Amino acid sequence: MSDARRAQAVAALSALDRRSFLRLAGLAAASGLLPTGCGAAPAPLLPPPGLELRFLTPRTFAVFTAAAARLVGPAGAERIAAGRMQPGVRAEAFLASAPSLAGTLRQALLALEFGIPPLLAKLRPFTALAAPDQEAILHELMDSRFEIKRLLFGGVRSLALLACYGDPVSREWFDYPPERPRAGADIQAAHDYPSDS
Amino acid sequence: MTAAAGPVLRADAVVIGSGAGGAPAAARLAEAGFEVLVLEAGPRVETPDFEPDEAAMTARLGRTTATASGAQNLYAGACVGGSTVVNDALCWRTPSEVLERWRREHGLSDLTDAAFAPFVEFVWEAIHAEPTPRSHLNRNAHRLELGARRLGWSGEAMARNVRGCARLGRCNWGCPTGAKQSALVGYLPRAERAGARVLAGTQATRVRVSAGAVAGVEAVQRGASDEAPVTALRVEAPLVLLAAGVLETPALLLRSGLTGGGAVGRGLQFHSSVIAAARFAEPVHGYFGPTMSWAVTEFSDVNGHAGPGFMLENTAVHPLVTATSLPGFGAEHQRAMQALPHLARAVVVLRDQTRGRVTIDSEGRARYEHALDAPDLERMRRAQRELARAYLAADALEVFLPVHGLAPIRGEADLAQLAAAPLDPTRFSFLYAVHLFGGACLGGSREAGACRPDGELWDVRGLYVADGSALPSNTGVNPQVTIAANALRIASALAERGPRA
Repeated sequence: MSDARRAQAVAALSALDRRSFLRLAGLAAASGLLPTGCGAAPAPLLPPPGLELRFLTPRTFAVFTAAAARLVGPAGAERIAAGRMQPGVRAEAFLASAPSLAGTLRQALLALEFGIPPLLAKLRPFTALAAPDQEAILHELMDSRFEIKRLLFGGVRSLALLACYGDPVSREWFDYPPERPRAGADIQAAHDYPSDS
Repeated sequence: MTAAAGPVLRADAVVIGSGAGGAPAAARLAEAGFEVLVLEAGPRVETPDFEPDEAAMTARLGRTTATASGAQNLYAGACVGGSTVVNDALCWRTPSEVLERWRREHGLSDLTDAAFAPFVEFVWEAIHAEPTPRSHLNRNAHRLELGARRLGWSGEAMARNVRGCARLGRCNWGCPTGAKQSALVGYLPRAERAGARVLAGTQATRVRVSAGAVAGVEAVQRGASDEAPVTALRVEAPLVLLAAGVLETPALLLRSGLTGGGAVGRGLQFHSSVIAAARFAEPVHGYFGPTMSWAVTEFSDVNGHAGPGFMLENTAVHPLVTATSLPGFGAEHQRAMQALPHLARAVVVLRDQTRGRVTIDSEGRARYEHALDAPDLERMRRAQRELARAYLAADALEVFLPVHGLAPIRGEADLAQLAAAPLDPTRFSFLYAVHLFGGACLGGSREAGACRPDGELWDVRGLYVADGSALPSNTGVNPQVTIAANALRIASALAERGPRA
């Protein structure tokens, strides 16, 4: 389906009432137009072999990885795609210190993956979308007039940024002198400024 | 997980929690001859083990959770020393206006300045609080100070509890030199020298009460790893002081069936915070130096000020905290992060009016029911506006306000978009609170609070609350000194009676 036709279809779906929507969704699913999402997430997004997941499932790990790549920006996305950053692994570690947040996060990631209109303006799993379409979905969540959608965005965003910027690989795209050796001169520089300014 | 039955321990007093409230109380009682047992749910991490890894240490030393709606993050220390290990070392004496309010609205008629001040001064000296010297005000602080001065606002260098600060910029994820006089290096070693025992990794699960008096606590003690067995402990003691912090103390009472006729859980209040960043032409190097040190007091409503009730305080510029507080995502967010050495940051410390409540769910887990009301959100908007103005006055190239969808502020005219932005916590990039109050408040009557003015629960003899949960309202200033002074006040009264009273 072309982008234009998809946008048209999404707009039309968004305007439907619930009963009509369910009828149309059933029809679409029966005719094979609507992916069921039963297939596995793309392999590059899945957890590395041997990683024991305590808080995320393989699917939510993949959704988180895909979302993190969009949220952190192009420099991080490049490194995630290359397998040099694994935000899902760091998210697992973070959730060990905040287990009360894990359930909510899993639900949010599943909603992001499988949400369709009227929740999200897409018909395919989030992990199956192209990067610009994933960004559009995240923008839709961030700017939504519905609190639940903004909450979903905020929760995933916070953890994604923690996971990506908690990774030393992120220092490749910005300068962070505290991790350099011999930071003493920098400490003094941080306290120097004209006394009358 | 099933816990294997462990030993029964006995003590004159059990203190639950080892932070700003628990540690001074434990030290006071131990030095008065009490046999004291301190139960701390978090691990014991000593100064040499504080690593230069922001992510790892934040997770290892603290506990992150959120309000019931998910809109506001809550963070507290969860290690031996509690929040004193992960705070920014800021010290303020209890404002007179706060004590006056507690007397007027909460019936704490004996809590006068004269009665409370000795405990404040005792704490002040014990934790070595002193004003931050000029040589320790970094560029990050100076940018805020410069803006405030050009706008004619009041402000001051804050006091910090440090000895020989090396200005490494890691106050709030474990001071690696031991310069910060947290409970871990101050009050707890004192307590231990006087004979107190501190059991780390030991979570109180229930307070035991018999015939209207406390009988002790039940607890579980975790092993060194997740796989290690969990041991169930029972501690028998005629005196129990709860100081597990607002995230846990009210919930522990509720789990124990101690509702205080509805008073337990009531009065939850925060200092709500968001953080703005500003980019300057010259490097700021905001990751070095005291993490926080200078405050705009112009808008405060305590300490003689009559403002709308917020302070603006500079705060450190480390990657994790900066990334989460900057708004938006993707390429624009990355651009701001790439300017990290040129960023200054400051936090809004809002003295909320909103009240919430701590409850527990069917499994006994705490829920923090709290949602900033419209007047507080308006004041939060005002605070962000003033913060942007301060940075612009200090020659910032652009200011990143913590609201998703707002373009960077490059001049006062851009502030119109802030005025037009919808008010909602879920539009903030990172709304949080680390100053938590209430849930088991002191009160002059059963109606006014869960505890008597001396900290004892109205309905349970020997059971005291000695942490931020006992404070009947927020303080308008960083609260560690007030929490410690109140705990010391409570413990001192008990100490005077002696261990066998």
